[in-house]
Amino acid sequence: MTDIARLPPAGALSDLRTRVRRREPVDWTGIAFLTGLAIVILLPLIVTAVWAFAEVWRFPAIVPQRMGLGYWQETLTRNDVWQALWLSLSITTTVTVISAAICFPAAYAFARLDFPGRNVLFLAFLSVQAFPKFGLIVATATIFLTLHLVGTFWGVVLIQLVGTLLYMIWIPVSAFQGVDRRLEEAARDVGAGPMRVFWSITLPQALPTLAAALLITFVSTFYETDAAWLIGLPNVRTMPMVMISFINNALEVQYGAVLFVFLWVPSFVLMLAARRVMGADAFAKGLGG
Amino acid sequence: MISAPRSRVGGGGLSGLLLVALPVLLLLWLVLWPVLQAFVGTLYFPGKGFSAASYVYFFSDAYSLRNLWLTLWVTALTSILRVAAAMPIALYLRFRTGSIAALVQSLALFPLFVPSVLVAYAFIRVLGPNGIVDTLLVAVHLPKLPSPYLQPAGPIIGLVWEGLPLTLLLLLSGLGRVSTASVEAARDLGAGGVTIFTRIILPRIQSSIIVALAFNVLGLFSAFTLPYLLGPASPEMMGPYMQRTFSDNADPLNATTQAVITFAFCAAFGLIYVRAIAKGRKGLR
Repeated sequence: MTDIARLPPAGALSDLRTRVRRREPVDWTGIAFLTGLAIVILLPLIVTAVWAFAEVWRFPAIVPQRMGLGYWQETLTRNDVWQALWLSLSITTTVTVISAAICFPAAYAFARLDFPGRNVLFLAFLSVQAFPKFGLIVATATIFLTLHLVGTFWGVVLIQLVGTLLYMIWIPVSAFQGVDRRLEEAARDVGAGPMRVFWSITLPQALPTLAAALLITFVSTFYETDAAWLIGLPNVRTMPMVMISFINNALEVQYGAVLFVFLWVPSFVLMLAARRVMGADAFAKGLGG
Repeated sequence: MISAPRSRVGGGGLSGLLLVALPVLLLLWLVLWPVLQAFVGTLYFPGKGFSAASYVYFFSDAYSLRNLWLTLWVTALTSILRVAAAMPIALYLRFRTGSIAALVQSLALFPLFVPSVLVAYAFIRVLGPNGIVDTLLVAVHLPKLPSPYLQPAGPIIGLVWEGLPLTLLLLLSGLGRVSTASVEAARDLGAGGVTIFTRIILPRIQSSIIVALAFNVLGLFSAFTLPYLLGPASPEMMGPYMQRTFSDNADPLNATTQAVITFAFCAAFGLIYVRAIAKGRKGLR
């Protein structure tokens, strides 16, 4: 839109262009994309959600023969589901808390302090992205083998923690750099000490982005599959592992579908909130883009 | 890269290093050390000296080579399909605004929020045997299609779906460098859509396309969850192959050898991708 504003003002050409634009109010290309994307992107998710409420859905009926919550009770009373849920929540919480404890101070240092090797160390976190992920996990697993960390809680925590480093440092660095320095200086001028300035001025301004980074870490760690699989199994069975066993063992279709609705829908709502705070671009970077 | 801070806060040097020490050490221990160890540990054996036997085995074993070949062509095809699918959407979003365009963007970015396990689950319900596609075909009296589930097409479809948003964002950031004025000028001179795309747009977003391809290759070459759940059991892609070698065969040496081989195949793409991000970061502030 800004480019249009730069065109010669009041020219006959731009008048014509506005008139032409007004005459074609229906964005048919957009509607075509919308329809195509709705089918490709949403249909699989909707079908899975319907399965969660289908008690009987035999091929080739287009809609389930009987709807109901029967499978909700059956799924949510399964022991393996609850064990995995608590395990996943405790691993995820541990990873998020440790990650925040070591990454946020580091991000503050990268954003605000001057120290030798600052740029090199900052860019070093990119190296995680330079290797194919699963290859890196296999290489780490080989080391974990000698340390007896394979198949343990802490093995899974450590490998998932590494996966969070990049965005738990890079996103907060932008947050700390985005804080209005004039406010800090004003507070300093009226006699506030450095800690007071940090708690009262810097932190509150950076907080929404820090919270978004925490949320992304929590949700993506909860669903992390590759590392949890190679390092965790067979002893440490997180939630995605239970879903995979539902797929592989061809148990009732509805078990997985119920978990899909039960677990994913809440995380989806939270992620939407995080995206609103950060904007799609930074968000994508957070997810490894 | 980050600019030098405008004013020093606190003690500077030492406290800065101390604050970043833990994550940096973790990075050294769990990323750089494993990579180094993978290279050295597959080539040098204490007490026995150097040996490339595990590499010789990989490159002379027919099954390993078939897995590598499957990985190569699935990676190439999926990367191209992702860019091909994202490009029209990116072009549309670049030159259109309004509520429909906003909706198109949200829908196209939607897969960002869907974890791979759930993608696999939903995919089987739709394209698996007697899935919703079969159901709809039978409803209109058409024959069922051969299901892509457990075929190479299975993970390809799933991976394109999953990778669409990030490819789209990378292309959109490239298209941001194409000015509307230059496109409109070309159109006023009578250039058609194809000419505008190949002569004006494509040269300016070339680097973004390369970065998008590099990013995709890195992610796809050792993709694990979707190929494991949706793909064929034999031959298998490198991700599932490494997992099976490590866990089921309890053979870390050969699994690490396979990992080093994936590192080698992806080295150039890793460099391109990381350099591009580092450069983009320099522009920030």
